[in-house]
Amino acid sequence: MQKLLMRKRDQLTGLVFVLPAILYMLVLMVYPLVYNFILSFRNLTVMNFKNNAAVFIGFENYLNIFRDKDFQQALLQTLWFTLACITVQFSIGFVLAVFFNAKFHLAKPVRGMMLVAWMMPISVTGLLFKYMFLTEGGVINELLKVFGLMFGSPPGWLIDPKLAMWAVIITNCWIGIPFNMLLLTTGMSNISADIYESAAIDGCTVFQKFFLITVPMLKASILSVLMLGFIYTFKVFDLIFMMTKGGPLNATEVVSTYSYRQSFTLFNFSVGSASAIILFVCLMTVGVFYLRMIQKDEAM
Amino acid sequence: MKKLVVLFLALSLLLSMTAFGVAAEGKVELSLWHYFGTDYEYSDGSIFQKDIDNFNAMQDKVHITYEFVAREDLLRQYQMGAMSGELPDIGMVDNPDMASYIQMGVFADITDQLNAWGQLDQFFPGPLSSCTQDGRIYGLPHNSNCLCLFYDVDMLEAAGQKVPETWSELREVAKALTDPSVGRYGLAISAVKNEEGTFQFMPWFISAGGKLEELNGQGCVEALTFLNDLILDGSMPKDIVNFSQGDCNNQFISGNVAMQVNGPWNVASVKELAPDKNWAVALVPRADNGVHASVLGGENFGITTACKDVDAAFEFLKYLMSKEVSADFCEVAGKFSPRADSTASKDIWVVDPIFSVFADNMQYAMPRGPHPRWPEISTAISVAEHEVFLGAKDAQTALNDAAATVKSILGK
Repeated sequence: MQKLLMRKRDQLTGLVFVLPAILYMLVLMVYPLVYNFILSFRNLTVMNFKNNAAVFIGFENYLNIFRDKDFQQALLQTLWFTLACITVQFSIGFVLAVFFNAKFHLAKPVRGMMLVAWMMPISVTGLLFKYMFLTEGGVINELLKVFGLMFGSPPGWLIDPKLAMWAVIITNCWIGIPFNMLLLTTGMSNISADIYESAAIDGCTVFQKFFLITVPMLKASILSVLMLGFIYTFKVFDLIFMMTKGGPLNATEVVSTYSYRQSFTLFNFSVGSASAIILFVCLMTVGVFYLRMIQKDEAM
Repeated sequence: MKKLVVLFLALSLLLSMTAFGVAAEGKVELSLWHYFGTDYEYSDGSIFQKDIDNFNAMQDKVHITYEFVAREDLLRQYQMGAMSGELPDIGMVDNPDMASYIQMGVFADITDQLNAWGQLDQFFPGPLSSCTQDGRIYGLPHNSNCLCLFYDVDMLEAAGQKVPETWSELREVAKALTDPSVGRYGLAISAVKNEEGTFQFMPWFISAGGKLEELNGQGCVEALTFLNDLILDGSMPKDIVNFSQGDCNNQFISGNVAMQVNGPWNVASVKELAPDKNWAVALVPRADNGVHASVLGGENFGITTACKDVDAAFEFLKYLMSKEVSADFCEVAGKFSPRADSTASKDIWVVDPIFSVFADNMQYAMPRGPHPRWPEISTAISVAEHEVFLGAKDAQTALNDAAATVKSILGK
């Protein structure tokens, strides 16, 4: 009996300890999410806002969104943006991680400096690249001119619908590469040097070392980098908002900017909510997938 | 634990005491949000804040605390505030957006107070209409502006051209002033994909006889085709699809464009940053068989529905929009007063070579909307503009699509 009481007390103490975190989550995350969820099933717009006359319309917002060509384009572009960014970021980040893992002079300080790109506020990076990508007088076109790489008229990086997506992908990669590199280097430094040593004695080539030792032992790191990268990239907003506002001609519109435009420019609050929920569901799926993978890994 | 409780008690006591403190002094504390820039001493925001300081000093009933909030943030705050009730007591709005916020219940109906004030008949109907919905008034226009053509006199003379008055003249002059060897374009307007882009499209659209109800009519198509021709001629940079009005002004100051369309709020910065430039303004050229036209811009102030003391806030509005304060503010800030008697009281709008042209142009300035769903109408227009300038659609097709959108909004 005494023991049971003690256990109850322990549980209570535990509850008190997690209470602040639970409250924080409830107020700042669960409440807005639930509110947004309910909103997405109503028809709240500027016209019925004041009298709170919006009614429940079931899945109509969602159906309309999926029928909306702009949204279809935004969804495809979000996927394309994410895949392109992750591929480039991950491969270059991996190469740099291997490079900086070699023990040479200044490896650590230089690696640290590369992180500046990742630590800068995204709005600042966005603005800087917006000016660098200007058609007339932008640094990038000037450099192309100097090195004789300009064929024909100067490329309109941010005003040509065919190029704009590439311009934002390049910018996002510039931010993402150091992040990928950092996580992978940390993983690499956890692999014991003994393994490489014994492999060398057994006559392993460099390539064998890389593909048979480094990659398999980095599996957990690689998985986290890819998943986190996916989540960060998929919900991109500030970068695109600063650089193109989704333009030219929706060429860089992604789900988050679509949602923002619906809610805050066009005052279609419910449509904005519904598209935000779609974004949430996509990220949630990836998140759950990631958590399960990690659990499996840790169980091993 | 006990200590914590005591601490909380002490804190809440302290807080309530500060509240009592204000009450004891007998002043009503009101907050105000604005997005006027305060970069320079002569910036509209700096002058505006001085007006408020004066008001706070001259009476001891009301104290106004002002806060600068960036335009985009301010608009978002109103929306969220409308849901949560967290609004300032007095707020500033760009006039085409006012109708949406009235519709959302952000601003309080002050028709009765305004009627009792008895000075409403001094306000020009155009700016005042943006504060009105269903015959009730929800605020007061604070300042007005319109668009003119800025041109570099020396460049024009060097090219042997005279100031363009019609579109065909403009096309010729813009071509003559364009010089790719020095990277100079003849003309720049702002065509950025937001309200600024729509604002800048209006003078051309109205001059050609375009109507909102019939966006795909002949006038509107002609206007859009004409502007696109300027880009095709190479007289206007394609980059204008990303140019804000501030960007246009910077290009004009640095001499990268010989002419720009812009408003009076930029006059001070051209004078300050390019003191040696020989420049002047003219009416925006009219369609060859049309009339001169311009567009009405400006900001309104309203008392929000969350205001603690509407009467106290109204005292401030009366001061802010009195004949003298309005005239002084507009004179220094380079704007136009929405009051007829203020405008008549100063001679800057008659004698100044730049402002007299703007003043003349004000008679042609048409308001946008007012309509609660103006942002959607405006988006339809700026999207059509982009589609044409970027070569995705021809003017007629782009405007057919825009017209369908706008018709569905106006029809409701």
